[in-house]
Amino acid sequence: MSEETIAMKVARYRPEHAAEPYVDEYRVPYREDMVVLDALNQIKDEIDGSLAYRWSCRMGVCGSCGMMVNGKPRLTCSTFLREFYPKPVVVEPLRHFPVIRDLVVDMTDFMEKLKEVKPWIIRKGEKPVEEGEYLQTPEEVDAYKQFSMCINCMLCYSACPVYGRDPEFLGPAVIALGRRYNLDSRDQGQAERREVLGVDWGIWDCTFVGECTVVCPKDVDPSAAIQREKVATTTEAMLSVMLPFKGRT
Amino acid sequence: MSKREGARYPAYVPEYPRSWWLQTGPYRRFAAREITSMFVAAFSGLLLLFLFAVSRGREAYEGFLRWLKLPAVVAVFAVILVAVLYHMATWFRLTAHIQVVRLGRKVVPKSVVIAGLFGTWVLASVIVAYFHIWF
Amino acid sequence: MSLGDILDESDAREVKRRARGAGPSREDRLRRLLRPEPVFWGLFSAGGFVAAFLVPIHVAILGIALAAGWLPSRALSYERVQHLVHLPLVKLYLWGLIALPLYHWAHRFRFAIYHQFGILRWKRFIAVACYGTSIAGTAISAWVLLRI
Repeated sequence: MSEETIAMKVARYRPEHAAEPYVDEYRVPYREDMVVLDALNQIKDEIDGSLAYRWSCRMGVCGSCGMMVNGKPRLTCSTFLREFYPKPVVVEPLRHFPVIRDLVVDMTDFMEKLKEVKPWIIRKGEKPVEEGEYLQTPEEVDAYKQFSMCINCMLCYSACPVYGRDPEFLGPAVIALGRRYNLDSRDQGQAERREVLGVDWGIWDCTFVGECTVVCPKDVDPSAAIQREKVATTTEAMLSVMLPFKGRT
Repeated sequence: MSKREGARYPAYVPEYPRSWWLQTGPYRRFAAREITSMFVAAFSGLLLLFLFAVSRGREAYEGFLRWLKLPAVVAVFAVILVAVLYHMATWFRLTAHIQVVRLGRKVVPKSVVIAGLFGTWVLASVIVAYFHIWF
Repeated sequence: MSLGDILDESDAREVKRRARGAGPSREDRLRRLLRPEPVFWGLFSAGGFVAAFLVPIHVAILGIALAAGWLPSRALSYERVQHLVHLPLVKLYLWGLIALPLYHWAHRFRFAIYHQFGILRWKRFIAVACYGTSIAGTAISAWVLLRI
């Protein structure tokens, strides 16, 4: 019985065996409904159990399975093989991050930067429980909702040439997350966050290439978030010069 | 290529390619967009030369106008014009992407915003041309 | 040394510099009282709008229409231009038309040096050189316009 197969060219890096990364080619059975992650699982289960990679929900909400597929940062659980069949599929670790092993990258830099931007509601004083909840109108939720959809998959960091060239850059997801909290009507920490975002390696390093927005699987649109944060920061700076005695948030 | 020693394993950190901006279509278009700023600055310089010629008297000014009519100079201006129009097109697209225009609760679609910016450009050009040529 | 060698060396030194923790700490840089970035971004943005809305027609008129003979003969005559350029509003307009796009260029060029050329050292010097050129252009154009 002849079966349709597809070639998978997978990047390997096993420092205990070889100092340099190399490519292993596998042939997996192909079905129209298979995604790249299915192929990787097939390889690990039946062909080569030594292959290392991250994945979890397999439905595009956890952000674990980000990898380079044919040179573009994609979620492997949401990338169908039929997009490429019958041509071979090249799978590499997410670009711009140090590679620990095979397709697994070091996320430390990203995780540290997430914390730097203070991604939580900052309040000058908490309301006592008896006074009830913080209420938000639908318009107030709409203001930040898009930027709250980030699943931390880091595809935007792979697409961003500024981050690739200068890893000190805070990066698209982190800045979008900062803006998400700045726009939240319950939050009172804009000044603190603007200190973090307004440094040279924060919003100002971005040159609006826009690729982060293109690759985002959740339509967060981080490049818009960054530019709007630049507008807001510049406006605030101008107002603080022109109206120095007016109270600022 | 450099190695970074982690807790238990050496991580592989690839060299970032110097020619990254030539490698994909979107990156190349981005680089082209940024380069248009040099042509914009070139025009500022040429306009400054124009004003210098005006300030130096009739002969200098009319000599400058003759220089402007040379084919080589016109070719340079043609290149500047193409660059500046590309700047305009990309600038409008970027502006529409950043600036969300609301009418009440409805959001104006990006293409409409871009059309509006383009219309404003046509109007501005007509007004400038009027003052430049006929006023 | 080729430019490639110089840039490679610059990269290697930057990696070593960061490894040994040299230079002002992140906290010190954070505490800098004068934060000029919003100013330069604002000027870049203003310059971008001037370049988008106003520069194309000027390029077309001065660079193409004149040579092609599409302009009426007195349009750019010395007398008419002298008269126009003496009006204060025209002086102001021309000053903005020349100066603001220079800041647009400076900002984009500065980041092109950092990211496209990959020069991440001497960032302050590069920034000063770029904006300094724009400031010089602003001053020179003001001087010419006041002299005319």
